[in-house]
Amino acid sequence: MAVDARQIVEIGYGGSERLTMNMGPQHPSAHGVFRAVLTLEGETVVAVDAVIGYLHRCHEKLGETLTYVQYPSIASKTDYVAAMTSELAYVSAVEKLGTFDVPKRAQYLRVIAAELQRIASHCLWLGTWCMDMGGALGGGATVFLYCIRERELILDRFEELTGARLLYGFHQVGGTRYDVPAGWDAKVRETVGVIEQRIDEYEAMLEGNPFFLARARGVGVISRALAEEVGVSGPLIRGSGVSYDIRRAEPYSSYPDFDFRVPVETAGDCYARYRVRMVEFRESIKIVRQALDGLPAGPISSRPGVKSVGQIRVPKGEAYARIEGARGEVGCYLVSDGGPKPYRMKWRGASFSNLAVLPHIIPGHKVADVVAIMGSVDPVFGEVDR
Amino acid sequence: MRNGGGRPPGFWGELSQLVGAVGRAMGVTLRNFFRAPVTLRYPDVQRAYPDRFRGILALTYDTETGEENCIGCRLCEYICPPQVIKVEMLKSEKRNWAKTFTLELYACEFCELCVQVCPTDAIIMLKTFDLATADRRELLLDKDRLHALGLAHEASWATGNRLRDMQAPPKPARAAEGAKGEAKEPAE
Amino acid sequence: MAFIVLNAILGLVAYVTLLERKFAARMQSRIGPYYVGRPHGWLQPIADALKLMLKEDVVPTAADRGVYNLAPIVFLVPCILIYATIPFAPDLGVADLNIGVLFFLAVSSLEIVGLFMGGWGSNNKYALLSAMRAVNQIISYDLPFIFAALVPVLLAGSLQMSTIVAAQQGLWFVAYPVFGQLAFVAFVVATLAAENRVPFDILEAESELVAGFRVEYSGMKFALIQLGEYAHMLGTSFLGALLFLGGWLGPGPAWLGPLWFLLKAVLVFLLVTWVRWSFVRIRVDQILAISWKVLLPASILLLFATGLWVATRGAGA
Repeated sequence: MAVDARQIVEIGYGGSERLTMNMGPQHPSAHGVFRAVLTLEGETVVAVDAVIGYLHRCHEKLGETLTYVQYPSIASKTDYVAAMTSELAYVSAVEKLGTFDVPKRAQYLRVIAAELQRIASHCLWLGTWCMDMGGALGGGATVFLYCIRERELILDRFEELTGARLLYGFHQVGGTRYDVPAGWDAKVRETVGVIEQRIDEYEAMLEGNPFFLARARGVGVISRALAEEVGVSGPLIRGSGVSYDIRRAEPYSSYPDFDFRVPVETAGDCYARYRVRMVEFRESIKIVRQALDGLPAGPISSRPGVKSVGQIRVPKGEAYARIEGARGEVGCYLVSDGGPKPYRMKWRGASFSNLAVLPHIIPGHKVADVVAIMGSVDPVFGEVDR
Repeated sequence: MRNGGGRPPGFWGELSQLVGAVGRAMGVTLRNFFRAPVTLRYPDVQRAYPDRFRGILALTYDTETGEENCIGCRLCEYICPPQVIKVEMLKSEKRNWAKTFTLELYACEFCELCVQVCPTDAIIMLKTFDLATADRRELLLDKDRLHALGLAHEASWATGNRLRDMQAPPKPARAAEGAKGEAKEPAE
Repeated sequence: MAFIVLNAILGLVAYVTLLERKFAARMQSRIGPYYVGRPHGWLQPIADALKLMLKEDVVPTAADRGVYNLAPIVFLVPCILIYATIPFAPDLGVADLNIGVLFFLAVSSLEIVGLFMGGWGSNNKYALLSAMRAVNQIISYDLPFIFAALVPVLLAGSLQMSTIVAAQQGLWFVAYPVFGQLAFVAFVVATLAAENRVPFDILEAESELVAGFRVEYSGMKFALIQLGEYAHMLGTSFLGALLFLGGWLGPGPAWLGPLWFLLKAVLVFLLVTWVRWSFVRIRVDQILAISWKVLLPASILLLFATGLWVATRGAGA
């Protein structure tokens, strides 16, 4: 299905019955700023030319100009929907380079934060996907508002922990910046209990619903071979039959202490990815409970609190740290020359690699399926464009 | 209409599945109809902000002597990632002061790093965020404005020393006292 | 009389939009309009109307002016005209024709012309795509709609609306065993589709086509189109209440009749709203498949069966 990108843009109205339609970058369902130039024959999409870069904010250059102390709060702005995991990638890379250890309590706190963030991110995914499929003034909006209502509960917990609701600045090199306030433990358990019941409600609304199944089954199939070749990760590759989760493959931050299942589906369509994420909801809740039960006493950072901007120095070298973000493998590659700032920082955004699969799976579907597929791929353009 | 995978269930099977699904979905919607709405009628009703809320920034006075806490050391200026703080130091015999202190709130990230590094707990964040204005110049806060804000609104829990104490690994002396690290400084 | 009815209907339609918004909001754990006319937002429709009247009327340069400007009017007129045939009480109505139901069904289908004119005149790919889908869908669903509406006609033995209501003295047709009940279900489903309500709202599909054929309209023209849509929606709710729920029949003195009628129509409207806010939409080819392969054969069969039943039992069971 290789189509020359330039060829698509030139066809326009001429030649046979192909119509070039532009979706985005301003579009109610573009999930961010994303431009897809679709070539249509009737209602069927024949080719997709994806244009990105509308949200480029020079993160990798910022990584070179800001020190290891300053950058973690900026790192949250790459995948801004799942900020905790984004920051974790950066500080993990620095800790690998400088061989700093992270106290056990901090590791558990990081796990709690990451898994709560995964739940919140999947809430947003489900809400926006249903809204894309169901319309802003229809049943889709209902599921959207329910999911946002649940997400707000988690954001309230994060607000009590760090003071911020979306971009936290929770991690720092050597541990975390904040410890849990009094009573937070009980509140998180309550929140997680409420969400577990609400997930049952979402499944009741969607599971077995012929309208939903008609939109999601058999749509956007990513074959196992394609998934492995293009390099997708996260729920996309687990929905196509490959059991790959970095929390199991290259464990970090005490994940081996926790007992959880990695869901895998073989169908590779939107419904399979939906099932993977719905199971991940419940598994994340399990992990949060286990982490709260086992939270050890101790310091939350192995380095003294930040007092000056050049406080952290790492030796020369390079390191790549990867973590399992809500969308897939988020990685940070750092090259250090011994100073307080990295020499080079390269960010591996999960959504960037996931988007690469779109020109392969969209052709052959109708226009209405494009939004369903985009929603199940769940890109966040902060990660794509950095 | 396409249905699930596997053996097609047949007309009556599909119909009962459809009726069941419709009933369940509409049941969920109806159940939510009777739940209380979660909307907060802002601005008639204000939300209770948590202790650590990272709101707008302010400068503080010493509670005992009434003097300005800021010694003009410029640590906050150096650490600020978007470089929104500009300070000029005024040297004096006993202690230093800040001659001018400007903070460009329209570019501030609210990351709390300036609060973290302040050695004298001079700069803090408040439990309010509402400074909306139609003129961006009003968001260029100078020293007087920052002090006025500090007096007008409730402060958040975080100050430099408290944050650093929370993050510091325990010294051997403190560990010997048997201090449990669970919640070192529980939020007030 | 006509003047009073027209104004009353326009006011009612405006407030029905507020009712829908409040109802939908409660189902979504939020409150609907609140600020304009605290605490219940009862001034919201007035604010919306004022806003739309004061907006600039933007006409795309490449639009076909005549068609573009006429489309809202051609769309609105049939939607309001249907109210002329609805009697609100045994003697209260503009024109209680003896072919009332037929006239209603015929006129209400004319909105398609206005809709397509809007899509064509806008000279916009999205609008045209949506208008074509709309024509497809509304034509496909008008047939089951008409057949479902004809079942009460057969059961009552007359096309005149007041006679149909009178025939429901004993038992409302919605509770009439098998025929009435199935016809009501078919009527509601066909209404959803003919009104472009989710799950059949591929015409609007905000996340793909933004606003469908309405996308290029602003200001008063947009207000007319919105008014027409909701008037049509409420009009079919009135028809549903009349055909199936017994119109103005209800306990209490006769002058309460119109109020009962209004209540029943609002209930039908809320039922449609409830369905609308519970489901995701389905694709246009699936919508058409449902219509032609499922709903149309089912409604034809139902009509034949009702006819046989009435013929063997005598007219007006």
